[in-house]
Amino acid sequence: MKSGIKSVLLTVLLVFCFSAAATAMEKGNDRKGKYAYRKIYKSCQARGAVGSSVPSISPADKTQAQWNQVFDNKKFDEFGCKEEWSKLSDKEVIDIYTYLHSFAADSPTPAKCQ
Amino acid sequence: MKPTSVPYPVKISFFVLIAVGFGLFHISALLADSGPADQAPGRMMAQQATKSGEPWITTDHTRHAALKKPFRSGPEVTKACLSCHTEAETQFHQTIHWTWKAHLNEKGDQMGKGWYSLNNFCISANKMADKGCLSCHPGWGQKVESTNCLVCHGQKPIKWDEAFEDLNAFLQNTNDAESKEMAAEIQAEIQAAVQQVARPKRQNCGSCHFYGGGGDGVKHGDLDTSLVKPNKALDVHMGADGQNFECVRCHTTIQHKISGRIYTAPAYTHRKSLIEDDLTSKITCESCHSATPHKAGSKANDHTDKVACQSCHIPEFARVNPTKMSWDWSKAGKTKDGKPYKTKDALGKEDYLSIKGQMKWVKNVKPEYFWFNGSIQSLTAKDAIDPSGTVALSHPMGDRNDKGARIFPFKLHRGVQPYDKIHKTLLAPMLSGPDGYWQTLDWQRALSKGSQALGLPYSGEFDFVNTTYVFPTTHMVAPKEYVVGCTECHVPAGSRLANLAGFYMPARDNAGIIDTFGWLLTIGSLVGVALHGLGRIVTNGNGKKKEL
Repeated sequence: MKSGIKSVLLTVLLVFCFSAAATAMEKGNDRKGKYAYRKIYKSCQARGAVGSSVPSISPADKTQAQWNQVFDNKKFDEFGCKEEWSKLSDKEVIDIYTYLHSFAADSPTPAKCQ
Repeated sequence: MKPTSVPYPVKISFFVLIAVGFGLFHISALLADSGPADQAPGRMMAQQATKSGEPWITTDHTRHAALKKPFRSGPEVTKACLSCHTEAETQFHQTIHWTWKAHLNEKGDQMGKGWYSLNNFCISANKMADKGCLSCHPGWGQKVESTNCLVCHGQKPIKWDEAFEDLNAFLQNTNDAESKEMAAEIQAEIQAAVQQVARPKRQNCGSCHFYGGGGDGVKHGDLDTSLVKPNKALDVHMGADGQNFECVRCHTTIQHKISGRIYTAPAYTHRKSLIEDDLTSKITCESCHSATPHKAGSKANDHTDKVACQSCHIPEFARVNPTKMSWDWSKAGKTKDGKPYKTKDALGKEDYLSIKGQMKWVKNVKPEYFWFNGSIQSLTAKDAIDPSGTVALSHPMGDRNDKGARIFPFKLHRGVQPYDKIHKTLLAPMLSGPDGYWQTLDWQRALSKGSQALGLPYSGEFDFVNTTYVFPTTHMVAPKEYVVGCTECHVPAGSRLANLAGFYMPARDNAGIIDTFGWLLTIGSLVGVALHGLGRIVTNGNGKKKEL
């Protein structure tokens, strides 16, 4: 019985934590996120790690659910430019998430980086 | 009488011959200096006409104070440009690039994409009420007020609307250091772009003309993004490994009026070479290559009065990127699970979109050929049509009796588009915006709004009709190794010119009686010669009596 209550409490706690994280991300600034995102690739190009300063992944390359998955799991490998991504503050990550999520393929205004 | 000495006149002739020979030697040496001796004269002429090096300018725009100040809007940039180039905007506002207004047709209706002209792609700009079309209008944003000079002259790509919107948003947040920093970054980008100006390059012209019809290579089969950095095999003039011409090398310009528009009125009123007039526009092939461009005695020179250079020298268009060859609006509006969808073809191009209908994309397209005197007749939204057959929305003017007409290659785009069943006129739906078809998938609403914008009646009853629309093919000139061969036209079956009737063309056309008579004559001649020879052999002589 006790273990059952514990499981329920744990589930509630986890749901609360994820909800809090999602809420925090939704409060980011998409405009700032756009420039923070672009800045990563400008810097990355400047040190010669990529050929172009234009990000290879556009907001419209994924749906909103897919962007949620990427940022929930914090799996940023596919973006390349690891050095720059590792230096981002939590706030910058949330801003970038907000930008990508706001202009995702299934958003009202899907955006490409080109 | 046996001559004892060389007569005086003969001696003179001998020295004259030596002198002439010496002179010819020098002339040939000069020719050798100016190019390979086996070159066609038309090619040598063109090389002479274009041999000047890189264009040069007398100002460094990064040093102008007017271009170093902070900009908060597009019109402020224009004002800075006009502070030196005082007449530029007045000139530009007279041109079709700004007005989207062509000439009045014979009925007095205003032609031009911003008026009553139609096509079978997105059909109409609905008198500029369809704001989606304004992405290619050289103003700032969706306003037709101040000119964005940098559309044509800017060398640093930048999304102007977005840049100014973000800049102003960040500048409002004066207490936020991060916003200030981002505003400064955007301002620096804007200033750098404003200061980086030049004569229009291929990517400037191409930012609209390569994307005509709403995408890369949609409209023109001979204009797409493959021409931003083409090689010589794609275009001998523009190839970066060849002449590397920019568009404005041929599309010469006077007071911002750019030569070469050909959709309705002729692109040129007369064909002149630079030898005839060194200030003539370079828009025709003859301007630089002359009317007899091939080597002396070449049969190709005999064609130039009736066959346009492009007919042989552009064997195929869309040789790198595919082009749209048909667009069926009647298939638009289908949904999957209640939602619009799209599909792609084997070339990776979208061949069905719920919002647009069915399309066909093709690569390496052989042109279709028509007599063409430089003018194209086009229908407007006011013209009555006969929906029982295919409606020629635009077609080339001229026939073989027209001295100014030559056989010219075209892209013929086939469409299926809406028309008014009662008024028998073509309809121009509103496509973008809240009432546009792309958002509503509601033909009635889109057609009503579109007709309303044009100020034309709509009965409320519509259907779809087959149409054709022509584009002259004049870019993507292939190297001479790939020109159309004689036997691609001069053959009885499968000739490229099979659809051109009303005249005799050797090897393509025949008449049974004449052919039979010809063969009889040929065989008869051969038999006659053979018998004659045989007679000589039998008579053992040449027919003359032997001298005794």
